[in-house]
Amino acid sequence: MVSSAREEILGSIRRHLPASETFVASDEDHSLVQGESRDVGVKKDSESLIKLFAESLEAVDGHCVIVNSEEEVIAAVRRILNDLRATRLCPKRLAISDSDEIRYLVDSISPDLDEVAMTPSAAELFGFDVGLSSVQGAIAETGTLVLEADREQNRLISLVPPVHIAVLDAAKISCTLGETLEVLYRDGRVSPAITFISGPSRTADIELTLAIGVHGPQELYVVVKRA
Amino acid sequence: MLVSLFVTCLVDQLWSSVGVSTVEVLRRVGCEVQFDERQTCCSQPAFNTGYRDEARQVARRFIEIYESSKAEAIVTPSGSCAAMVHHLPELFSADERWQKRAHAIADKTYELSSFLVRVLKCEDVGASWSGRVTWHDACHGLRDLNIKTEPRKLISKVKGTEFVEMDNADSCCGFGGTFSVKYPEISVAILDQKIEAIERAKVDAVISGDASCLMQIGGRLSRKGSDVKVMHIAELLASQM
Amino acid sequence: MNHLSSETFDDNAKSALVDMQLRGALRNATSLFGKRRLAAAESLQNWEELRSKARSIKDDVLLHLDQYLEQFVATAESRGAKFHWARDAAEANQIICKLIADRGGKKVVKSKSMTTEETHLNVALEAAGMEVVETDLGEYIIQLADETPSHIIVPAIHKTKRQISELFTAELGIPPTDDVDKLTATARATLRDRFAQADVGISGVNFGIAETGTILIVENEGNIRLTTSLPRTHIAVMGIEKVLPRFSDVDVFLKLLPRSGTGQRLTTYQSFITGVKQHDAAEGPDELHVVMLDNGRSRMLAHPITRQSLACIRCGACLNACPVYQQIGGHAYGSVYPGPIGAVITPQLVGLKKTAQLPYASSLCGACREVCPVKIDIPQLLLHLRGEITEAAVNVRRSEHLAFRLWAMAMSRTWVYRLSAKAGGILQGLLVRNGKIGKLNKLGWLAPPLLAWTSGRDLRPIESKSFRERWQSELKQRD
Repeated sequence: MVSSAREEILGSIRRHLPASETFVASDEDHSLVQGESRDVGVKKDSESLIKLFAESLEAVDGHCVIVNSEEEVIAAVRRILNDLRATRLCPKRLAISDSDEIRYLVDSISPDLDEVAMTPSAAELFGFDVGLSSVQGAIAETGTLVLEADREQNRLISLVPPVHIAVLDAAKISCTLGETLEVLYRDGRVSPAITFISGPSRTADIELTLAIGVHGPQELYVVVKRA
Repeated sequence: MLVSLFVTCLVDQLWSSVGVSTVEVLRRVGCEVQFDERQTCCSQPAFNTGYRDEARQVARRFIEIYESSKAEAIVTPSGSCAAMVHHLPELFSADERWQKRAHAIADKTYELSSFLVRVLKCEDVGASWSGRVTWHDACHGLRDLNIKTEPRKLISKVKGTEFVEMDNADSCCGFGGTFSVKYPEISVAILDQKIEAIERAKVDAVISGDASCLMQIGGRLSRKGSDVKVMHIAELLASQM
Repeated sequence: MNHLSSETFDDNAKSALVDMQLRGALRNATSLFGKRRLAAAESLQNWEELRSKARSIKDDVLLHLDQYLEQFVATAESRGAKFHWARDAAEANQIICKLIADRGGKKVVKSKSMTTEETHLNVALEAAGMEVVETDLGEYIIQLADETPSHIIVPAIHKTKRQISELFTAELGIPPTDDVDKLTATARATLRDRFAQADVGISGVNFGIAETGTILIVENEGNIRLTTSLPRTHIAVMGIEKVLPRFSDVDVFLKLLPRSGTGQRLTTYQSFITGVKQHDAAEGPDELHVVMLDNGRSRMLAHPITRQSLACIRCGACLNACPVYQQIGGHAYGSVYPGPIGAVITPQLVGLKKTAQLPYASSLCGACREVCPVKIDIPQLLLHLRGEITEAAVNVRRSEHLAFRLWAMAMSRTWVYRLSAKAGGILQGLLVRNGKIGKLNKLGWLAPPLLAWTSGRDLRPIESKSFRERWQSELKQRD
């Protein structure tokens, strides 16, 4: 009888382990008690979370703009595009993800650009200058954006173009990584692809000199819209 | 208090003044010092090189010698030897009886500076020595036995001594027992970084709690024709200049 | 290019020590990483608690590895992932080559994976006629240079800007530059085409989560996200020890890994991939294949001392802290995994015969143990391996064992010890000048350790009066 590689490996594990007790999936509370970070005592009200998120994002070279309404989101995005016009990253083509949260932006910003396309194909995306998406959550203590692939097609839009503009609903900001994990694992299931983004892409592989903008975006803007 | 001195083979043969100083200091702070002349070695060289049977042979002798002592503590002027004694139970993990005996000995074995400060609660031993010094944290004493503040406290009370902290005082000097002769080039490369730090500190002497580190550091300083002295903490504490 | 072997470690090390450019690069990199790691650890009040927690999670996993693996595989399979099991490196490479060939694949993009370095996957892929490009910048650089990585986190740390510029000029035709942004932009532009055209993406796995069937991969550059989301087929290679029990366990490990590796709170991107997409139209690969690699890991479970080797999360902190690594770098070890962790797992993965020097290339200072986020007691492991090596009499000179037997005999009998010391004290007269033993040449062969010592250091001689003699004559009579 030919034993499969799987059986051989599992068999090897069992043979080499000391006789182990019956396995019981542990019910112990494994969540860490609050008090991990220097931000212990941070008030968890909305304004404190927004402030902490903004500080953390800026600390990883992201840009944060805080606004109060859809009109202000539009104005903020237009201002970002305008600022970029003066740089090498002069935006002409913008890809926007198909999300109810930001649909109002499609027509509002199109006059500023040569092309606004909704969720172009992967191959086409390489020709776009800006990716605009919403996000499914955020972590205040690290300035992290949380994306869930089955809720929005933002996986590639947030990655391929050299600029990513993310619109974040302030109500979705969690304080800690631990809390975020709890939110993500609900009803016994996680999304097929979850991505955490903390700032623009970077490397220090050449003489440990920091270079921003490697394979992922070079600029990350987050427009936080208060509830 | 009655203490039994474990002088270490290195000090016995190559650096007797460390042993003499240790006795003087212990007597000065009120201890009665016993020296069992049968003692030789704690077995560290064999243990560290992987010769466990040979290590056990020597370790059993060590344990037997000190079991016969009525002293409340075994004191040694070496962090690495004290750490080795604390590892003896591990060496006898397959022999419950010897392991128990090893534990009993390990539990009352102390490196000199930690004995003075933690057990006798003594920081001022009435020493005086004029000059500028820095301290090298020997690895085993530091990482196995947590000896860090004790020597610094003792040095701070020596009259006339100016203490300065050098860069990376807690970095290895490159000795590592047989490593120093199995890989001498690497050993000296590591050592040179320590020497650079010592030179930057502009001191008259480097102090440490391990004769092995001092041999390594002193050997290079001497080869380079440096005026910087190496001194064991026992010698500094015994000084009354 | 000739890749160094662990059998010639001492020669490798000697060559590294005379490479002043390498030593300067290592000094800068390791001290910078060390400072950043320390600052990052100190920013968390409960760093020690986290380390203990992580270690206890790993201990639980390793003691029940078969069960957690079965849970992981079952859950991931229910989400559409396909699993393949590789007993050794050759089998892993075979599986991967076949997966790609069966799909008519030819163009492969790869993200950094130490496990695939371990199996020498690229060699196998190229032999099978596939085009494979490393997309992590450091790995891309060494691929162009036909070298192996010299550090777990920064593979090209041994190369200067100038060397990289020369490499890019030779291989990519760009004009020489020492502008890091320009060099990075060149790599980005070249690799984007490769991403766009790739049939298959191959990645490693940092953690596999049993509870949800998720693979978690962390990075800063974005190449892992591209590798695992653009091509139609994603192959993930995972060591069997990388599994964690619960989704919530990620919290502890994401607090420890980035801080230990680079001093960052979090690396720029984390990708949590669970099975495959639910709808054809959605983004992402159509297929996910996970290759589970044993290659000697299951054997390490047998002994509590060796079992802890499998707790390693590949952060590289031990390399940066190690005084030996700091002087010689990674290539000298002649193995995929260098530094302290390399010195302990390489002999276990590859066997003692070719790697017997590695566990001895350490001063046992313990700095590695201090910085390890999962509290692996590397010095304990080194000593254990040294014991195994002498017992197996592998690569050990008979004269050394004999010397220690004689030593043990002398140390067990006080009179022999005293006599030997006296004899040494007399013989050394041949060597002592001006109160010390200086550089030896002719007579050094009598005692190789003496020759080795005195090549760089003077040696204190045996004193004419030992401590015990002074005890007798000066100290004993008092009180």
